[in-house]
Amino acid sequence: MGIVDSPNGRGHKKKGRRQSKRIGFHLDMTPMVDVAFLLLTFFMLTTTFSKSNTMEINIPPEKTEVRVAENNVMTLRIADDAMAYYSIGENAPRRIPLYDTRDTRRLALSGELRQLLRQQTKSNEKLVIVVKISEKAKYRHLVDIIDELNLMKIDRFSLDDYTEQDALEIKRAI
Amino acid sequence: MSRIKAKRVGFRIDMTPMVDVAFLLLTFFMLTTKFRPPEVVKIDLPSSHSLLKLPESDVLTVTVSRDNTFFMGVSSQQSREKIFNAVVKSKLQTAGFSAVAIADSLKNFKLAENFRVELGELDKFVVMARFANQKLRPVIRADADAGFDAVNQVIKIYKKANLLTFNLITVLEKEVR
Repeated sequence: MGIVDSPNGRGHKKKGRRQSKRIGFHLDMTPMVDVAFLLLTFFMLTTTFSKSNTMEINIPPEKTEVRVAENNVMTLRIADDAMAYYSIGENAPRRIPLYDTRDTRRLALSGELRQLLRQQTKSNEKLVIVVKISEKAKYRHLVDIIDELNLMKIDRFSLDDYTEQDALEIKRAI
Repeated sequence: MSRIKAKRVGFRIDMTPMVDVAFLLLTFFMLTTKFRPPEVVKIDLPSSHSLLKLPESDVLTVTVSRDNTFFMGVSSQQSREKIFNAVVKSKLQTAGFSAVAIADSLKNFKLAENFRVELGELDKFVVMARFANQKLRPVIRADADAGFDAVNQVIKIYKKANLLTFNLITVLEKEVR
């Protein structure tokens, strides 16, 4: 690998002969540097300084109870993959698409739903949003909704169980 | 100025500083790289706009895969040992395993990043993990296509164990609005 040049140009050394110390010899370091750069590029390309991003969620302890006036409660029910139903107080729920139909990658909630959330929270400061997600829905929907609410800086929301009654309630949706 | 320079033949540059820097970078990357252990199951994380970073130590992760199976992992080996002694050991003893076999499975258990848990046993494991380390930060790492129901079960278990602040792992969404 490495070429060792002796300054006086003498070639092979004979075995067994005692050698005098060579002064100022030259070593070809090209292969070593090649390998070093190869490793360097490998490590630089494979390293990702990855620390996962997270969303923090606080849930209330089991036994707390917060009373909220009925007309300050907006219930958002996610029935399945495509539809959300919102209702304020005891009113009949209204159907609203969860994602835009044109948006195939489904990165954001539908414009309508976002508009609605923004409008409702602006008009009523005391509004509490209760999100109920049915077991037919996916985890993705939960994350999308929480993300959207976080982006809108809405922190008055809570999660609740989706019961039989919610399923019935949805049937009378407009 | 406009004189044409003759091509210099066989000139030398001192490359020592460049090689020095290259080796410095090489050692840096070699020492900081931690190879990611192979995953038990592929998780396709949901995306969000959250920028919060996950803490590195004292993490209790419950992984929910696409087909709604549960995996649990604790970041420190001491906690893993405590969990093993509290939950798994007695089960192996009643199943009639020898002491050597138990010691061997403890060794594997300590090295495993994740282990499979049935839903019915998850609450026991979570409570034990909390008991082993009070500072533990609970984290849910679920596939975007996992059923909401499965994730909700985990949230309920955390709630029961009085772990009221937890994190959901997501990846950063690139699209800007």
